[in-house]
Amino acid sequence: MVRTPTEPGAAGGLDGTGGAPEAAPADGPGPLPGGPAASAALRAAGRRRLREAMRRFRLRMCALAVLTAVRVAATLATPVMLAGAVDAARTQEGLGTATARLALVLALAALADAGEDVLGAYCGSDITAWLRHRLLGRVLALGTQGRHRFPTGDVLSRLTESASGPAAFPVLLLTAAAALVTTAGALTALALIDWWLAVAFAAGIPPMIVALRVFVVQATEPFARYQRCQAAIATRLLDARQGIRTIRASGTAAAEVRRILEPLPDLRRAGHETWAAQGRVSRRLALLAPLTQVLVVGTAGIRLATGDITTGQLVASVAYAAMATASASLFDTFVALLNCQVGAGRVDEVLAAAPAVRPPARPVPLPDGPGRLRLKGVTVRIGGRAVLDGLDLDVPPGATVAVVGASGTGKSVLVSTVGRLLDPDEGVVELDGVPVTAVPLPQVRRAVAYAFERPALLGATVHDTIAYARPESTRGEVRDAARTAAADGFIRALPDGYDTPLTDAPLSGGELQRLGLARAALTRARIVVLDDATSSLDTATELKVTRALQRILAGRTSLVVARRPATAARADLVAWLDAGRVRALAAHADLWPDPAYRAVFSASAAGAAAGA
Amino acid sequence: MTAPPAARLLHRHLHGRWPAVRRLAAWSALESLPAFASGLLLARAVDQGFLAGRPLIGLGWLGALAVLYVAGAVGTGRIYPWLAATVEPLRDSLVKEVVTASLDRMADRAPGAGGAGVSQVTEQAEAVRVLLGTALRNVRQLLSAGVAALLGLALLSPPLALVICLSVALALAVFAACVGLQIRRYRAVVREAERIGESAAAVVGGVRDVVACAAEDRAARAVGEVIDAQAAALRAYARTRLVRLPVLALGVHVPLIALLLLSPYLTEQHGLTPGQIAGAAGYLVAGLQPGITVLVDAGGTLLLSLAVILGRLAETCAGPATDFPVPAAAPAVAASFDIEAEGVTFAYSPHADPVLRDLSLRVPEGTHLAVVGPSGAGKSTLANLLTGLLPPQRGSVTLGGVPLPRLGQERLRSAVALIPQESYVFAATLRENLAYLRPGATTAQLDETVRAVGLTETVERLGGYDAGIPPGGGDLSHGERQLITLARAHLSPAPVIVLDEATSHLHPAAEARAERALAARGRTLIVIAHRMTSAERAGKVLLLDGPTPLLGTHETLQARSRLYADLVGHWHT
Repeated sequence: MVRTPTEPGAAGGLDGTGGAPEAAPADGPGPLPGGPAASAALRAAGRRRLREAMRRFRLRMCALAVLTAVRVAATLATPVMLAGAVDAARTQEGLGTATARLALVLALAALADAGEDVLGAYCGSDITAWLRHRLLGRVLALGTQGRHRFPTGDVLSRLTESASGPAAFPVLLLTAAAALVTTAGALTALALIDWWLAVAFAAGIPPMIVALRVFVVQATEPFARYQRCQAAIATRLLDARQGIRTIRASGTAAAEVRRILEPLPDLRRAGHETWAAQGRVSRRLALLAPLTQVLVVGTAGIRLATGDITTGQLVASVAYAAMATASASLFDTFVALLNCQVGAGRVDEVLAAAPAVRPPARPVPLPDGPGRLRLKGVTVRIGGRAVLDGLDLDVPPGATVAVVGASGTGKSVLVSTVGRLLDPDEGVVELDGVPVTAVPLPQVRRAVAYAFERPALLGATVHDTIAYARPESTRGEVRDAARTAAADGFIRALPDGYDTPLTDAPLSGGELQRLGLARAALTRARIVVLDDATSSLDTATELKVTRALQRILAGRTSLVVARRPATAARADLVAWLDAGRVRALAAHADLWPDPAYRAVFSASAAGAAAGA
Repeated sequence: MTAPPAARLLHRHLHGRWPAVRRLAAWSALESLPAFASGLLLARAVDQGFLAGRPLIGLGWLGALAVLYVAGAVGTGRIYPWLAATVEPLRDSLVKEVVTASLDRMADRAPGAGGAGVSQVTEQAEAVRVLLGTALRNVRQLLSAGVAALLGLALLSPPLALVICLSVALALAVFAACVGLQIRRYRAVVREAERIGESAAAVVGGVRDVVACAAEDRAARAVGEVIDAQAAALRAYARTRLVRLPVLALGVHVPLIALLLLSPYLTEQHGLTPGQIAGAAGYLVAGLQPGITVLVDAGGTLLLSLAVILGRLAETCAGPATDFPVPAAAPAVAASFDIEAEGVTFAYSPHADPVLRDLSLRVPEGTHLAVVGPSGAGKSTLANLLTGLLPPQRGSVTLGGVPLPRLGQERLRSAVALIPQESYVFAATLRENLAYLRPGATTAQLDETVRAVGLTETVERLGGYDAGIPPGGGDLSHGERQLITLARAHLSPAPVIVLDEATSHLHPAAEARAERALAARGRTLIVIAHRMTSAERAGKVLLLDGPTPLLGTHETLQARSRLYADLVGHWHT
């Protein structure tokens, strides 16, 4: 008995992915960037990854294959048993035995089929979960460097969509194999009953292939146009979402709806065209498939009349012909298998990327120390350009050093090497006399705390996000840290105070920065790095944050990336970056008379304004 | 349970589509004609033709079947226009409703957070179209073939059909009994999948912070738990699909076995012929089985997806609107455009500290007021209260003596214009963007405004007012976007303009020019200040910080407030 997949063969269309909604064209029209060669490479990588997955879950895959084999065998045997039973019913001889045999193969096929379905879902969910765990682990290992290659939205689409595709792989693979075997078996069975039957069937095959091909050619353009119109509406809605405050304040929601829906008529036109194309192919297939069957049955009838076959065999040939025409659904299965490969390939692209930093081969514990920081001959190349070029810097324990320089001189890169967010290509970063690359990673990162311009909201609540680096902190400690960062006041004004879920917290940029500072204040790190942690604040907030900073930095070594002269002026020393090296390490007041030094600030201010 | 609202939503959007659905059903009947007649004709062909030694008569009956298949194919082809006429308008009206509903529902408190679903509504509307299309095309086709087979069977042998119908009815009952559980499990799968996206978004977006906190393991564990939960939900759903076993057994296998076992009795008592046995077997194998299989496999999944997605769309459409409720009484008319806040208190929730407490403020028509204070002091909240976007918990805001809600949306919105920091530039011509708050503006008016706010260069660079702006604003800089929104305010006929840090991306000089241009129109101008220079230009200054707001001028506040003096000093260092 033929297992009908979600898409029945007779009316199989390109868009029929069964119950699953079509994937949205998230990344523009072309399905894959880089043309056919790149997509072939992607699929090859996907196949490798899928083979690895099958090896990993080989026991289950074997069990699944056994079930499929049982189902195919039972399915192919069913018409024979049916023929025997129909003939027995006519002759009234051995009807009980023949019916029992039929019941047995039916039961076997049904049990194997149900087992296949459940086991296939188990295998698929395992493969997807395994891919997702590995993908996430690798994204975390890629760290900040990975974000240039794989932006957040990209990673998320790989994690949710690409990784879920291969879940169907075990079942699809075996379905394809089973369908091929079933078709071949059905044809063989027809030939075995009477070879004229096979000849009659074969006559119907070429027109069916032509009908399917014509459909692919005709339907591609309207389908693509449909997706473009759909994307246009989604983009307009997304735009309106960004400007929702303006829309509400202007009372223009009705006009906005009209504007968003402008592409709707085009969408409808393209939609009608896709249906028309599907109608044409369905009409042809609706004609060809049954006519082929009628042809087979007619041939069988003539052979029945001449006494070459029995009534039962005629019934069997009806069943085998139906089985063989159902292989038209293989087309869909192959398309779905390609999608699995593409999905696994997209996951593989991330897994194949090298992690940003590697753990030390022979770890040395970080000795206690006052937080003396020394960079020797540090060179970092990004995209072929030496951003830092043999840089030397010696930061005395307990000092606050402002890092200044025109935009693009590697201020953020420099501070990233301290906590091993990024390793230099050459040179050494030493913390209290030990190279940071020799210390176990968690120890380095506990010794170096960072606060960023826009800290990420991690964890579930405001409390969680402050305590992210030290989850064992008490509520009192978290509150103290928030107070130090001048954040306690606005946190208590949130709907549930410290327990406000981050999704419900209406935070402004300045408030966000203060949460980041509170996070840094909570750690007991000997080095604190403020990477642009106070930029783009309004005047009033910057004043407040600056005062908070002085409390946090007291008694610790700190590096502060500074864009404003006032920030540099408050530091003990200024490290002035120029051409990949430290041009000067001195107090702000001593450097200020130098017009070239003053130009750094006006240039970065102009740069900020131009980039704004 | 979301099924009832989902069903209501579907029913509402199918309104007016029933003629098309009826035509669809009519052609569908023609389409399933061959499935209905196949067993009857096969039985005749066997009994009167092939077994009776008259193969030509047998072929004749089969020829009749072939003719019916041609008619059926015509039916198949004719179905598609009506399918399109059902599904396409449904998608249109669904998209219209969800777009309207999501615009009404979006809150501005946390843009980007919690509203991730908003961008998916168009995708979900599309999914309804695809699912319904598949249902009407494939599932309908096979189900109607199944029904036709049962009807044919009834004509072939009524007693046999009775037995078979009972078994099939039992199968359907078993299936129906499990649908509720399947829907619940399937919804859990969808929900967990969404949670993976949400939990991973925070971790992947904040990977730098995760790494800097040495919290990779914890982050991986947090998302990993959701990943495993989704896999478990998938497995739980897969287990419910075991229901296909009894359904297939009762729906197809038992009837087939019954046919064979009953055949001696039926042959004897009711004169069942070998051809009729063959025909009945054909009905079961070729007609009924695909129908039952598609019902259990695709029909189940399809129905579930449709129910779940419609349920989510129904949630979107039924979501609370964020605007004020429409007042019962007729809208009142404001006597003047003086704005007055009296004893206004606002907190984000009952147990949170209020952001603003007992604030009273009078802004007479024509005042140029700057509001300064650190972020978190409630500046944006004040802007929202003064423009009626948020209702205060205590106290009231009036315009010309009338409380804002009583003015009615239309009057309020045409009297007060708010320009927020996040500038909204949309896909349309530059002219439409500029004239957003004054749709009928003439080119001369546009010219005057563009000159006044300092947007001339941008207009020239873009190529005039009729240049198109792509979605997302294209390569317009943040500064240019803000200038466009400021030009809107300048053109707007509203007597009260509120700028909420709307100049944050401008150079100080550009900011000064735009603010002066707006102030020069003599209307009320309230500026939530990003820089202290905005306060220096304003006639009055409100300092928000802590429990007691201070109102004064730039000069008096420097004398009265240490913080204000600090701010001024800090800016000039």
